Amino acid sequence: MSRKQKEAMQGIIYVLPSFILILIFCIIPIFMSGYFSLTEYNVMKPPVFIKFANFQKMFQDSYIIDATKNTLLYVLITVPIQTILSLLFAAFLAQKMQNKAGGFLRSVMFIPVIASSVTAGTIWRIILNTDGGMLNNILNFLHLPSVNWLGDTKTSLLSICIVAIWKNVGYFLVIYYAGIMGISKDLYESAQVDGANKIQQFFEITLPMLKPITYLVVTLGIIWSFQVFDLSYLMTGGGPGQSSVTLVMSIYNSAFKQYRMGYACATAMFLLVIIVVINILEDRLLGGKKEEKR
Amino acid sequence: MNSSQKLQKKREWTPLSILGLLILILFAVICVAPFIYMAIMSFTQSTTKILHWSDVNFSDFTNFNYIFNKSGFIRALLNSVIVVSCSCFFNCVVASMAAYGFEKKNFPGKELIFRIYLITLMIPGQVTMIPVFIMMTKMKLTNTYFALIVLIINAFGVFLIRQFMEGVPDELLEAAKIDGCPEYRIFIQIVIPLIKPVLISLIVFTFVSSWNDFLWPLVSTSKSEMYTLTVALSLLKTQYQTNYGLVMAGATISFIFPFILYVFLQKQFMEGIALSGIKG
Amino acid sequence: MNKKRICIAASALALGLMSGVSASAAETINFWFPTFASADGEVTDEEFWNGVMEKFEEENDCEVNVTIVPWDNYEEKYMTGTMATDGPDVGYLYMEMFYDYIDNGMLTDIDSYFTDEQKENYIYYDLGNLLGGQYALPVVVGNPRILVANMDILNEAGITEVPKTLDELVEACEKIKESNPDVAPFMQDWGNAHYGSLNEIYWPFFWSEGGQIVDDEGNLTIDSAEGLAATEFIYSLKEKGILDDTCTACDDTIEPFKNGEVAMTFMASSNALRVDTVNWDYSAVLSGSKDAQTFVAADCLVMFDTCENKDLAAKLMAYATSAEVMSQFHKQVSEQPPITLDEEYEGDERFATLFTEYGDNFKSLPVFKSASSMYDQLFKNLQMMMLDQKTPQEVLTETTEYYNSNLS
Repeated sequence: MSRKQKEAMQGIIYVLPSFILILIFCIIPIFMSGYFSLTEYNVMKPPVFIKFANFQKMFQDSYIIDATKNTLLYVLITVPIQTILSLLFAAFLAQKMQNKAGGFLRSVMFIPVIASSVTAGTIWRIILNTDGGMLNNILNFLHLPSVNWLGDTKTSLLSICIVAIWKNVGYFLVIYYAGIMGISKDLYESAQVDGANKIQQFFEITLPMLKPITYLVVTLGIIWSFQVFDLSYLMTGGGPGQSSVTLVMSIYNSAFKQYRMGYACATAMFLLVIIVVINILEDRLLGGKKEEKR
Repeated sequence: MNSSQKLQKKREWTPLSILGLLILILFAVICVAPFIYMAIMSFTQSTTKILHWSDVNFSDFTNFNYIFNKSGFIRALLNSVIVVSCSCFFNCVVASMAAYGFEKKNFPGKELIFRIYLITLMIPGQVTMIPVFIMMTKMKLTNTYFALIVLIINAFGVFLIRQFMEGVPDELLEAAKIDGCPEYRIFIQIVIPLIKPVLISLIVFTFVSSWNDFLWPLVSTSKSEMYTLTVALSLLKTQYQTNYGLVMAGATISFIFPFILYVFLQKQFMEGIALSGIKG
Repeated sequence: MNKKRICIAASALALGLMSGVSASAAETINFWFPTFASADGEVTDEEFWNGVMEKFEEENDCEVNVTIVPWDNYEEKYMTGTMATDGPDVGYLYMEMFYDYIDNGMLTDIDSYFTDEQKENYIYYDLGNLLGGQYALPVVVGNPRILVANMDILNEAGITEVPKTLDELVEACEKIKESNPDVAPFMQDWGNAHYGSLNEIYWPFFWSEGGQIVDDEGNLTIDSAEGLAATEFIYSLKEKGILDDTCTACDDTIEPFKNGEVAMTFMASSNALRVDTVNWDYSAVLSGSKDAQTFVAADCLVMFDTCENKDLAAKLMAYATSAEVMSQFHKQVSEQPPITLDEEYEGDERFATLFTEYGDNFKSLPVFKSASSMYDQLFKNLQMMMLDQKTPQEVLTETTEYYNSNLS
């Protein structure tokens, strides 16, 4: 065996375990999902090929339509807010509070990240309770009217968004903070010499330098947000009405409540297409750094 | 010297920045308040949602007793610990091996396979969940730790470590090879120590996502002995819906474990996440 | 050396993980049962069934794995469980679930496993005859949803008897609203995550107004004049301010009732007995314009076709429903009327005549295709109605349309 062949062998052996796992649990299932989406399948009986009937049905199904609307709305609310909040907080901490107190604030804001979303959902469900929940008590204390947080179609999804933002800001804050700390101090000093104030510095140095990180934060945020299930499952169960059902929840319901695996797979493929399209759009907009390193 | 000068600058507190500080502190309070509320509430026997201070009795561990003795919470906690630690371990092993193969070895089709890996990063687990579930049932693997662990392993770790491994000098590996060091020892004794920071980063990332995982355990476990903590808590919530003290005690127990870990390994957590941000 | 050791350790670990935890005796049988015990009760469901099964295990030299399934994601757990390796052998299904399981041939016809003598002893054996086979053994028959009233609040408003008709209910509520504005005159949990609440908050009204869920061929018939009357009645409760505007956030009526915050609510008879903090009375059924019906559970034990030792499973079913076990169950876990002739009714005397007197007024849900999904959809649409986003007519037509195009 030549040296080159030997090296290739070694390379293959190193990559193999991960490749097998990814092949079996990610790549093959995608194709299976694609196939099932064209069938009627309830697991107990073999799948029946029905071409695009699932998709036709899907686009008329009020449940899926609502789920799509809600999921998109959820992404549109959470992603920008959590990105901007975490960026502003990080910038503030980096500029004003590179000390113990700042470090303490960062650690505190990270706490919601380590609690599972099931824990978070369980707590917030009780806090947001309309009749006697803590938040409404606080509102009443401030002489504001109670809000029917989880019991109203207008606020149920919004409540879930708030909890999601609450849970995610700490995570992205840490990423942004590290990013800002990585920016060379010289840049700021020379800007200062040019007479730029803090706010100008933020827009002219911090923001452009953080572009790759913003790309990552937004991408992660989008992918995570499209997967929203836990919070909505625990806090509202999708209700009231269909005001907080999400796409993943409709996949779960079709598959595990209604035994419609084919239909669920069709919804899953639809979700995948949305995610891919949005990722491409985002890539164009933010001009990702994806390949430049290779 | 220079640093004291900088400190001077940092102390310029304008009204705007004080406002910023207040907002920041307010947000920090909002971040912890629910957990404090949870902890206090878990010491009450109340079935109303309003927290009455008169109900709180910090020497009353009834709720915790109930949870430890009567619901399968301990088992679920143990399951979660097993699943999370195995996920972290196997993910690190598999991902660092693959990353090493991709970065430091040459084999045909390498870049193509890596590109496929990158594409799979975009595919959320929920999309593949149904076929994987069907596969698992056909292979009789539901209700096993294997099913709970294996799905955590994905391309992200490979991608993350490969980025980092660029910084490992090839010359070092060459030199070791010339010294007659066998291949596996190069990997274990030279490469692994060098990529330790990124491994910590991956462990933190895996820990957070595995500990959080809910949908897949919900679907793939049907026996109560196999429930993970998230599933057990969600069931506790539905079973004892109105016993708020009890539900909050469950939430407290499920929160306390990662919290203690976080308190002790705070630096690693922060640096891990930060690194995944810069390198990812 | 080092690597080898790691390899061995890792593979041993992996093997150990794969094999899971089941190191078991010769014969195991999986028994699934839902939760009935109250959170502050003396025994939990797990403790009760594990305790009861010890005797059975000894007699038959086997091991019974008891799994308690909470109500909220009951159907999903059965779905994933029946497909998994260690699914239930003997399970507990309610009427909404039967169609799919029978239709897919997943249940065993148990008729041949029971002697005539046994069958005669079961009061409701025939209720388990579904879609042309004896696929079920009724185990919890009863728990009618009755109107429970806090008599102190009612008396204060000058009412001496619990309402017996829908009109009386409205009248009483109006009086209570005047005499005691701090309590809710009537409460319904429209915020529940599970459609099971319909049994308390919708079907009694629906049936009393003469509605029918499906016809004999299994077509959905909720969209009828009678159905509309019932739906409009519920909506009018909200319009009149009898039901609170935030009722879609309410997920429990029992605790508020116990705490004396509610004058009247529908609840399962066994739950009513757990209320010991208020002076309550009940009315078994409310008459509407056409009929007088309320929901009663008819939940059954079933044997899954995947079960390997069917004789043993049948024995387990017989044991679990025997007077010996059931009388303990009714005493310790959930108070229900007897299901066999040889069990004495030892429950609360307030309910002693409930079944003999009102037997004809109790109705259980029909078995038809995708029943649970239909109920789920209907429940969601009704929630929208309670939030003024759908009219009663829209609820019925849209649910029917959805069912016909997606589920049937």
